[in-house]
Amino acid sequence: MPHDRDENHVHNLLPAEPALRVKALETILLEKGLLDQQAVDAIIDEYEKRIGPQIGAKIVARAWSDPAFKSMLIADSETVLREAGLAGRQGEHVVVVENTNKVHNLVVCTLCSCYPWPLLGVPPAWYKSDAYRSRAVSEPRKILSEFGVDIPKSQSVRVWDSTAEIRYLVLPLQPKDSIGLPVPELAKWVTRNSMIGTGLPLRPVGD
Amino acid sequence: MKPPHDMGGNPSHPIIPDKPDDKKFEEAWHRRVLGITIAVGAMGAWSIDASRYARESLPRSDYTKFSYYEKWLSGLINLLFQKGFINKNEIQSGSGDSIAPLEWRNRVLSLKNVGAVLSAGAPTRRDGPKPIFSIGQKVCAKLPLDTLSIKNGHTRLPHYISGKAGTIIKSHGVHVLPNTNAHFLGEHPENLYAVEFKASVLWEQNPSSSDTVVVDCWESYLEAA
Repeated sequence: MPHDRDENHVHNLLPAEPALRVKALETILLEKGLLDQQAVDAIIDEYEKRIGPQIGAKIVARAWSDPAFKSMLIADSETVLREAGLAGRQGEHVVVVENTNKVHNLVVCTLCSCYPWPLLGVPPAWYKSDAYRSRAVSEPRKILSEFGVDIPKSQSVRVWDSTAEIRYLVLPLQPKDSIGLPVPELAKWVTRNSMIGTGLPLRPVGD
Repeated sequence: MKPPHDMGGNPSHPIIPDKPDDKKFEEAWHRRVLGITIAVGAMGAWSIDASRYARESLPRSDYTKFSYYEKWLSGLINLLFQKGFINKNEIQSGSGDSIAPLEWRNRVLSLKNVGAVLSAGAPTRRDGPKPIFSIGQKVCAKLPLDTLSIKNGHTRLPHYISGKAGTIIKSHGVHVLPNTNAHFLGEHPENLYAVEFKASVLWEQNPSSSDTVVVDCWESYLEAA
């Protein structure tokens, strides 16, 4: 077991209660001049209010409605997303994987919780859970059924374990009923989970 | 014994999917941990690889007990201590002894640079040699232990593919090697590949299954099968 009893671990010298632990660390850093509180607030604001799955949904909707864009996206997502200003922190090297009638893609990170943040925002609790990280590679169909998704035997399930700095985004199959809709309308069908592979696109509520 | 963060293939609980009205951050302190971790990381004193290693080398009892943001927080505290940004007395008292050296304070992320830091990220693609393996080639994953740069060090090779044969399906180009970079031993960029393994090979079940698992592997994680 790495470094269990060595001198590199001091975290338990701070209060165990996490809210107090973070407060204590923030105080130390501020007193030392190692942190700008306004910068911390701005980072939180970006992830809380601006960066979220609606960004990925727009990319998917555009790919559904524009075959040339879709071809470019699948061939070289990294360049397409960089040019769109969407290749930021934790999405520097994105690969888009397309669902077809033969293959259903599912994304996990078994070693930590890597996730395409600039396209989907902060990861949901289940994505970071031990259960998902443990089971997505060994029993993906069971996991999918726990999300209410049943993949027919005729479709293979291909699980992508994000072990490196490549981030995967699933391009889901477009529902037939949505064909022909304009991009802003289409984007409403694209759920966050459909871009991770644990869900399918859905008709927007109220449509 | 495999380390606690290497979870792939472990038996575990059913998934509890989230609900549409769930909050982005379950607790107020979660967002503080996120903001502080990113802000401090932007000083450039360590890489994502060092951050990951700091989290996964927490004592097993802490790793298994801590929630996601508790791991981030404790990993960050240990890194700040190991790199000399904060000392033990400060940690024990919960208060800064002295102002940090100007050299460090000059690197503190300011409000006006937040947007640029988030949109730049930290790309890991580098120039490097041509790949040894080609698409369609059969390869075998090594033991994680045989890829470490230091004892009990960092690797991104999960145990569940070790010793198993798969096929290269994609070449990702040359990327920084976490196994050295996590320990401040240099980037040593290597070719990175997407390797596809049959579920039937990995889990010794469903011989008829066409399901697969794709794992990104650096060249030194692999040998020709």
